[in-house]
Amino acid sequence: MSAISIQSISKRFPNGFEALKGIDTEIQSGSFTVVLGPSGAGKSTLLRLVNGLETPTTGEVRIGGDVVDGHKLRHIRSRVAMVFQQFNLVDRLSVVTNVLTGRLAQRSWVGSVFYLFRQEDMGIARDALSRVGLTDKAWSRADKLSGGQQQRVGIARALAQQPKVILADEPVASLDPVSSEEIMTLLREICDRDGITVVVNLHQVDLARRFADRIIGMNSGKIVFDGSPEQVTQSVLRTIYQREGIEDDNSLDMALAYA
Amino acid sequence: MTTVSTWRWPTPDGWLPLPLVGGVLALLAGLWLTAPLVEVDFVRLFGSVGRMIDFAGQMFVTPDWSYVPQLLEKMLETIEMTVLGTAIAIAVSLPLGILAARNATPHAVVYRLTRDLLSLMRALPELVWALVFVSAVGLGPLPGVMALAFVTVGFMGKFFAESIEVVDPKAVEGVRAHGAGWLQVRLFAMLPQALPDFVGTVMYILDHNLRAAAILGLVGAGGIGYDLVMSMRLFQYERLLLIALAIYLVVTALDRASDQLRSRIIHGRRQ
Repeated sequence: MSAISIQSISKRFPNGFEALKGIDTEIQSGSFTVVLGPSGAGKSTLLRLVNGLETPTTGEVRIGGDVVDGHKLRHIRSRVAMVFQQFNLVDRLSVVTNVLTGRLAQRSWVGSVFYLFRQEDMGIARDALSRVGLTDKAWSRADKLSGGQQQRVGIARALAQQPKVILADEPVASLDPVSSEEIMTLLREICDRDGITVVVNLHQVDLARRFADRIIGMNSGKIVFDGSPEQVTQSVLRTIYQREGIEDDNSLDMALAYA
Repeated sequence: MTTVSTWRWPTPDGWLPLPLVGGVLALLAGLWLTAPLVEVDFVRLFGSVGRMIDFAGQMFVTPDWSYVPQLLEKMLETIEMTVLGTAIAIAVSLPLGILAARNATPHAVVYRLTRDLLSLMRALPELVWALVFVSAVGLGPLPGVMALAFVTVGFMGKFFAESIEVVDPKAVEGVRAHGAGWLQVRLFAMLPQALPDFVGTVMYILDHNLRAAAILGLVGAGGIGYDLVMSMRLFQYERLLLIALAIYLVVTALDRASDQLRSRIIHGRRQ
């Protein structure tokens, strides 16, 4: 069964830039998919469309059968969590309050006016924090944590939502190699243990090869590769990272030699 | 040796942009030509130094200590008017501030209307609104509080809206992406980020309102103002001195408190 179904999606921004040019794909429930591609290939736009943060110019995205559009956005987002490159935490709130914002989709605005949460939500938030190993930081302010820790809070917020899908938009791009490894391991473990469908945008080819079940390669708004990590050869990488109008790309060869 | 050509401005041709230079020169010329309209007269200004010193000298009098109990009572009334008027204004300004922030308003029309309402409220000074409310509800501190709250909403709503407009959109997106509702996004992503600015605004406005409340008595709207003006008119400098000192002390205390509070909110509790 496919968790996410993307049907002939294209996206043109108001400034005329065509970020996506006809994307069709299905993402299996409980799978771990990595989207690879150069900056500006449309990876982020694709992920943001799945969460309804952008609306497609043509085509549609379905999550578990429901079309992502204005009407049921809140309902859909309650099942689709997002992890961001810049973490997107509310700096001034405590770690645990940030995690609790993952519960807001399930609760009406009445309690929220008084910043009140249910006891059960607190339990869920504590469990999520212990999953990412940050129980002792629960009452620190989010901006007092290191980058790696903040990203783990981001993942705990996603877990607190008890989602079917987690979308991660370059979750390790702002982190050092060790933290990156931790975050990827955590996402992989969440996928395996909870059966949550994970889609990750990445820049690091080696991480993609090691963690993914499936790799989708994108270049200038199109899918140029779709297959298992084993199928990602040097020539595939050349296709994914090639740049328009540059024939003998030295930078490309150098970069891929060590990938 | 340094020549003129050693120096340049960081512009493509090394010179200041012509519109900037022209604009500043035109402004200076305009001010020079129009100054006589407001009777700016340097001869008169310097000629009056003697009288100013004379006036300042009259302030060095023995304070009228018997006036202190009445002073304290009036000062307390002034502070109460300030705090109450500001508190009412905060409660009204928060929702209006959300409606008047470009990134938080439900609709562009609501944004426009709220902005216009806020500028109407602050179009006239407290003293004028106090006159209006004194005619409406009679003499005493009540019309004073109403006038303060009214004008303060006009300023505070605008300031709140502007602090909401500059909050980090990434955190807002972070909360929104997790399915939070309209009000929840504003409460959990926008308000916490705008809080230090809010506190700064509130403290500045408290300071301003105290000084505004100090003259509302002029039109019969309560507070220390009536005594202040009467002692000025009757040349009772021994009272005027005490009143000025009392206002100064309260404003200073407020300033200290505001520094403490703001740094605490920006940096969090010290561990």
